Amino acid sequence: MERYHAGMLCGLTVGILAGLLFVAFLFKKKILDMHFDERQERARGKAFQYGFFTMIISTYFYAVSDIMLGHWCDTMVGVSLCIALAICVFAITCILKDAYLSLREKPRTLMTFFALLSIINLGFGFMFHISPGLTENGVLTYRAVNPIMGTATLVILIVYIVNYLLRLREEEE
Amino acid sequence: MKNLRMKAARAARDLSQQELAEAVGVSRQTINAIEKGDYNPTIKLCVSICRTLGKTLDELFWEG
Repeated sequence: MERYHAGMLCGLTVGILAGLLFVAFLFKKKILDMHFDERQERARGKAFQYGFFTMIISTYFYAVSDIMLGHWCDTMVGVSLCIALAICVFAITCILKDAYLSLREKPRTLMTFFALLSIINLGFGFMFHISPGLTENGVLTYRAVNPIMGTATLVILIVYIVNYLLRLREEEE
Repeated sequence: MKNLRMKAARAARDLSQQELAEAVGVSRQTINAIEKGDYNPTIKLCVSICRTLGKTLDELFWEG
């Protein structure tokens, strides 16, 4: 069991490092860019505030649910749920205030990126669902992190596309 | 309150919102929000817009 946990920790560390390297690569290639104008900065500040409070409140509810209902998910799943909720609130607020994309980012790149993330994570979720592993003795295992993150990116993508189409129609009128 | 004077000054220079936005270094949505009166720009951005459109602060932003 100890070796299993050490393996998990190593896998997680390598995963995080790979993720950081990937994000650094996106910045280097100018696919990701963090230059926002003053209105966007202000809107993002507000969105960050909403995301922050969502994280606090959802963490509280997760802790309460764990006490009231008993252990219903791995700690990592609970934490991921809170993070996914906070990210959704932050991203959706930014999107609605036209402050999600920086000055140089292209909507199509973002939509492709989020679609890919959703497909990969939901695909893993589906795989885990078919070959049992998503739950063990009625408790959601760490494998549920993928579908949670996949659902979060899918929700953000849908809100982005709907908002994008509505703005296009507004501009045409 | 809508900023029709800024919209008129931009149109007089034959600039689109996107072109003005690029000239002053903000997003098109920000120019749109200023013209619709949804956003109050900082004095720095006001000056930048005035310089690009060849107008004074009074002409574009003062509500006398």
